[in-house]
Amino acid sequence: MKDRLSGGERMFGLLTGQKIDRIPVSPFAEGYAAKVCGASIGDFYSNAKTNFWCQLMAADMHGYDSSPFYGYASVGAWEFGGKIEFPYGVGHGAPYVTKHPIETPEDVDRMEIPNPKTAGAVPLTMDVAKMCNSLGMPAVFQIGGFITYCGNAMGPAKMLLWMIRKPDVVHKMIAKIEEFQKGVVDYFVNTFGADKCMAFSGGATESNKLISPKQFEAFSLPHEISMSRYILDKGVHIVLAHPCADQNGNLPFYKKMRESCGWKGKYVWNFGPETPLEKQIETFGAHDVIGGNVDPPSFQVKTFDEVVALCKDNIERGMKNPSGYVLMPGCEMPPLTPPINVHAMMVAARKFGAYE
Amino acid sequence: MIRGKVAMKEEILKGLAQAVIDGDLDKAQHFSKEAIANKIDAYEAIMEGCAKGMNIVSQKYETGECFVPEVLCSAEAMTTAMDMLKPYLKADTTNVPKKVVIGTTQGDVHEIGKNLVTLMLEAGGFKVIDLGPDVSVEKFVETVKKENADICAMSSLMTTSMIFMPDIIKAVKAAKPDTVTMVGGGPLSPSTAETYGADGYAKDASVAVKVAKELTSKRD
Repeated sequence: MKDRLSGGERMFGLLTGQKIDRIPVSPFAEGYAAKVCGASIGDFYSNAKTNFWCQLMAADMHGYDSSPFYGYASVGAWEFGGKIEFPYGVGHGAPYVTKHPIETPEDVDRMEIPNPKTAGAVPLTMDVAKMCNSLGMPAVFQIGGFITYCGNAMGPAKMLLWMIRKPDVVHKMIAKIEEFQKGVVDYFVNTFGADKCMAFSGGATESNKLISPKQFEAFSLPHEISMSRYILDKGVHIVLAHPCADQNGNLPFYKKMRESCGWKGKYVWNFGPETPLEKQIETFGAHDVIGGNVDPPSFQVKTFDEVVALCKDNIERGMKNPSGYVLMPGCEMPPLTPPINVHAMMVAARKFGAYE
Repeated sequence: MIRGKVAMKEEILKGLAQAVIDGDLDKAQHFSKEAIANKIDAYEAIMEGCAKGMNIVSQKYETGECFVPEVLCSAEAMTTAMDMLKPYLKADTTNVPKKVVIGTTQGDVHEIGKNLVTLMLEAGGFKVIDLGPDVSVEKFVETVKKENADICAMSSLMTTSMIFMPDIIKAVKAAKPDTVTMVGGGPLSPSTAETYGADGYAKDASVAVKVAKELTSKRD
């Protein structure tokens, strides 16, 4: 099929329940966008212009539908006074923490809420958002993922241990993170207007490979609910939620979060490949969009035909969602993916994901 | 009298195992002191007490009855006990443990998975040389040779750093052909492990010990 709509029109149509020509494609391409545009991954994350330009050009080259935004998984350390390194070294794929700001429980007591306009990666996120906004694309900010965020501030192993040994300290830190994130929401909403903003939420340390659903419920859920209510009340109605890796056990709590907000707004759920699409459709399908979750490493290691087959399977299952579907990998596109395998997503979407 | 001693020894070993299962630092200290005071062989206290407890924790992790926070508490209890018992270990040249060199591959700073594997392998009776995160191909090979290791275990959570595994495997096999190579980590799969030429793949820490034991016994 030939595309009738532009990427922006297609995404807008999907989120507002209008008829669209085909399923949108969002390859969650960050390091990949840098590589395919000939930039270093280090520059991609340390320079807002490079970040924006690479994402824009990669989308244009492949014809996929997502717009640029700035974010990475190690968020939370730099913002609270720790240090990160940008990924300039051999084998690096994303920024990584070199100093966690929290070493002792007393550090949490002493920790002041950082300035949401200047802390850590917020200025980079804002710069990319401004460039997006100037082209009519959503201004995206990063929220939620409280366990991941807190783990980056404390060191994941220490936080996981303290969840049992010193739960009050972890609760206290997460409360501070929530307060900080609300400041970030205000900053973006005041700059662009709520209707121009979109939230990105997610993290991997919430995975049930690491913590139990009960621990998620105790440490994260109250803050996820509070944050979700906050952004929806502010008027930000679109959220890309990425519960990374295996979060099957947390699924009922994400549903509870949406229920507690009266299913206001529109969430695009992008779970890891461990969570079957059918389960997601059953949980969110009456209200929210499902972002398909093709196994990410497969894009790097499998052939074009194999990737097309994986996408076809995902599309056929995902299109059953009554509230819409986007073809996505279940996490960031591996930076070293051969470009032909991102093209495979486009081929599969046009061949098997047409509505017209 | 002898029966009383046997019962006491059993109680102490059970106490050590339970302290590890519960992640109870006080009990780990208490039963370690008891083991020393009652002249229980330190190696036996570690293997039949602490390690047995950790093996149960590993099984519970595998079946989803416990998660990493609980495993880390158990690890802390085990370390507490082992730190107290180790000075009492007798040199035993007849029971030489298999050696494992482990690390996360170059560019990857994630360590939780690798540290859990290290812990489970130690509880399983292996001697582990942990090279830490972000380990170069050369460092893996050099250490395998220097330590005359039986196993080279590689972990990666990132697709950008797992690509070094085939190079490590090739270089390790060239330097010491009888070395068993094992890989694991989020983006790996059995088929990727096979493509990379690894002898074994473990989906997580709980199965790593089984795989390591199977592969080394096959080799021997």
